[in-house]
Amino acid sequence: MAPTKTPIIAKSFDYLVIGGGSGGVASARRAAKYGAKVLLIDAKFKKLGGTCVNVGCVPKKLMWYAASAAHGRHHLKSYGLSENDDDEVKYGDFNWAKFKVKRDAYVKNLNGIYERNLIKEGVEYMFGFARFINSDGDVEVTLSGDQELGFLDEGKSYKKDEKLVFQAKHILIATGGTAIIPPSVQGSELGITSEGFFALEHQPKSVAIVGAGYIGVEFSGVFKSLGTETHFIIRGDTVLRSFDDLIQHTITDYYTDKLGVNIYKSSGGVTKVEVDKDGKKVVHLGNGKIVEADVLIWTVGRKSLVDLGLDLAGVELNQKKQIIADEFQNTANPKIFSLGDVVGKVELTPVAIAAGRRLSNRLFGPEIYIKDKLDYNNIPSVIFSHPEAGSIGLSTKEAEAKYGKQNIKIYNTKFTDMYFGMMDSDDLKSPTAYSIVCLLPTEKVIGLHIVGESSSEILQGFGVAIKMGATKKDFDNCVAIHPTAAEEIVTMT
Amino acid sequence: MAPIQPIKNYDYLVIGGGSGGVASARRAAKYGAKVLLIESKFEQLGGTCVNVGCVPKKIMWYAADNAHRKHQLKSYGLLSESEDGEVKFGDFNWGLIKTKRDAYVKRLNGIYANNLNKEGVEYLYGFAKFINSDGDVEVTLTGDQEIPFLEQGKSFKQHEKLVFSSKKVLIATGGTAIIPPKIEGSELGITSDGFFALETQPKSVAVVGAGYIGVEFSGVFQSLGSETHFIIRGDTVLRSFDDIIQTTITDYYTDKLGVNLYKQSGGVTKVKATSDGKKKVYLGNGKILEVDELVWTVGRKSLIDIGLDIVGVKINDKKQIIADEYQQTAHPKIFSLGDVVGKVELTPVAIAAGRRLSNRLFGPEIYIKDKLDYDNVPSVIFSHPEAGSIGLSTKEAKEKYGEENIKVYNSKFTAMYYSMMESDDLKSPTAYRIVCHGPEEKVVGLHIVGDSSAEILQGFGVAIKMGATKKDFDNCVAIHPTSAEELVTMT
Repeated sequence: MAPTKTPIIAKSFDYLVIGGGSGGVASARRAAKYGAKVLLIDAKFKKLGGTCVNVGCVPKKLMWYAASAAHGRHHLKSYGLSENDDDEVKYGDFNWAKFKVKRDAYVKNLNGIYERNLIKEGVEYMFGFARFINSDGDVEVTLSGDQELGFLDEGKSYKKDEKLVFQAKHILIATGGTAIIPPSVQGSELGITSEGFFALEHQPKSVAIVGAGYIGVEFSGVFKSLGTETHFIIRGDTVLRSFDDLIQHTITDYYTDKLGVNIYKSSGGVTKVEVDKDGKKVVHLGNGKIVEADVLIWTVGRKSLVDLGLDLAGVELNQKKQIIADEFQNTANPKIFSLGDVVGKVELTPVAIAAGRRLSNRLFGPEIYIKDKLDYNNIPSVIFSHPEAGSIGLSTKEAEAKYGKQNIKIYNTKFTDMYFGMMDSDDLKSPTAYSIVCLLPTEKVIGLHIVGESSSEILQGFGVAIKMGATKKDFDNCVAIHPTAAEEIVTMT
Repeated sequence: MAPIQPIKNYDYLVIGGGSGGVASARRAAKYGAKVLLIESKFEQLGGTCVNVGCVPKKIMWYAADNAHRKHQLKSYGLLSESEDGEVKFGDFNWGLIKTKRDAYVKRLNGIYANNLNKEGVEYLYGFAKFINSDGDVEVTLTGDQEIPFLEQGKSFKQHEKLVFSSKKVLIATGGTAIIPPKIEGSELGITSDGFFALETQPKSVAVVGAGYIGVEFSGVFQSLGSETHFIIRGDTVLRSFDDIIQTTITDYYTDKLGVNLYKQSGGVTKVKATSDGKKKVYLGNGKILEVDELVWTVGRKSLIDIGLDIVGVKINDKKQIIADEYQQTAHPKIFSLGDVVGKVELTPVAIAAGRRLSNRLFGPEIYIKDKLDYDNVPSVIFSHPEAGSIGLSTKEAKEKYGEENIKVYNSKFTAMYYSMMESDDLKSPTAYRIVCHGPEEKVVGLHIVGDSSAEILQGFGVAIKMGATKKDFDNCVAIHPTSAEELVTMT
């Protein structure tokens, strides 16, 4: 279709949001709260919530809870609550299939809640693929399923693949991202990604995971804890290389020495994947080794979903093919904004939510919000590994590089949580390690890195303090809470 | 009687080897002071916290928590169809855990002794008392022991008396649980000390007193399968805490946990022993209970039987030692802190006060005015679920600032963990409350109930001590998916 043809506009809006995930929904709802007429478009039919709800944070956390419960089961004997010698969860002990059904039901419930929230707040929405069709920013939507569109024509049933064109004063692109299957590795299509992980109906007896980022670490931890023989293929010598050394080493060592994950360090990457007569995946590594596993999972990175006619709309991409947006989420087209995973930066649900709300404050809210934007510094994040880890601010390396080693002071502590004091053997114990990175002379806390039980819950409050500009003295000024793990963070010397 | 000569003189004499005493002694030694620490419990350094408080309590809580986790395994697909997972009386090996728990405590006793040795703090085991107005201290040994800093190789005997003098003295003798003196048969009950001495698990237990100790014990007993009767005078437990904690815990204990809570009990009027060794407990409201064990958790009193009148150290009407903000008593060379002064009876408070006192007495000039700020001290309760609190309760805030100047933010939800539970009675609640004052919404109180509350609170404590406002809370991006994130996203 010629881009200059004048389309028939089905309806006009104040705000058109492409993407019904964390960022899109938050921004749409906030705009509607200010009285804007909003249309939200999501591609995944009847699955509002984006990556987070459907194939990310939510189902991931449920699997982590299962893995955590598996560890807990193994601890029962040490706590006088079991007489068995075989409480350790082995392959077959975990009812994966039954759990998946419950997990899916929980996600579906959330999809419904997201829809009801949109309806309650007067946000119109539809399921379809959106694309820009001209430089005016008109958006053509191809429906992704049969649906009614009450805001267009009551009672009419629109059909899948039908196309409708909409117009809006402001448009938000929050289409998110998707996992990468390496295109140039022979046989790579024999492997699945995180989406495939969540689609697994049955627990694989053995699995190979490729890619040392947090997704690979979380999956490896879950599989191993639930009894699957786990092979973790990484290119370097540690996992989580974008995090502080404390996290890298504590997790890598624990995974290999105690958890029992087979980590292939300096693997040379995967050169080829084949399948044998039993359906097993044969994974060839650059260092010559060969790994065989029932399932191969690629966790080598994610890419932005940008196939929406961006060149027609004049929206630009960087060399990582992420949408370029400034601090106010403006793109190159003055009508079009972008945030969330699709712009890269900090790919976390709460970041997308915060950015989405501030954008709507700015575009549709009162005067005081005219310069509202998200500060991308000091954003806390956690990893649901075993044990958990959390981080905010600069790593030791980053801090030393930025300010000079002589201006940085590090406080460290390593200990075994009291909980493990009752364990009958050492391999049931997991480590706790904390590191505070301070900038001299005031010892302003510019980084906090923690590993150990409850790290994900411990970090939030410290995040607030660090955003407020806390110094080591501020930490020490709060009386400790005893007995906890967190108290060690305010009593370090 | 001729005055007894002290056999050795010190810079700092610390009476009490618990949280406050040990912390202060070690800090003083770090500055080069010659320190003697006296602990009455033979070879059991660490005080209440290590021996009959925080530490063994937390281990029992972990056991109780694990009992809950066991019951939840089935919902997580980790138990066979035939198994149930609920911990009933007999499922928990109380004896085994007591043995392991005692060993853990003993290790800590050893670590405390090692630390004192390492830092050059001299110590001995005995009861201390003042014997003259100069503040000289007579110690009656509580066991046979060697005292190398007096005489190498000599074995001193139990009951032997030794006198010491010191430039400064710290009284950090702590407290002990109360057995109500006026109730007939009250000696048939035990206290927290007795709880930790129990070799076997009672099948049924009555816990009297609605403070945090009673709440923690009730929770532990019930979770581990003991039939638990919790006798309180009012309608809620934890009455010194914010309403949100009182009602969430009280309701959960009665409705889900299954504790038999006797509200408006009229207190206990009488206790009798039955022929088969049980305790018959008579309540003021007419009810009568029969249980294997009766545990009094009605309060604690300071340990002050150390000759205070001889040195002119004063006590208040609750019989706690009076000390000012610098821990100074009525006697110029005698100081006091920790549970014995009342105030905020927590280990970290005693430690913080103890260290600051030694900074001030023995440290450099910059510490001349060092003292502990007793405001905004966070504390947690190891109930089920856990609870935590810092600052003013809603009531206290409204009284202090006026209801119109207070804004309260609330959130109630069920943590994602429980979404997989096969039945509702396996779920426990989460409830958070932020108490804000004034137009800038300064956070003057934070009260939380739910899983992980004990670990969540510390960081928020730091922020609140720094003067955080609601806006500061909201300014930090949430961490997802967690429970704690709800505290920075409240509307």
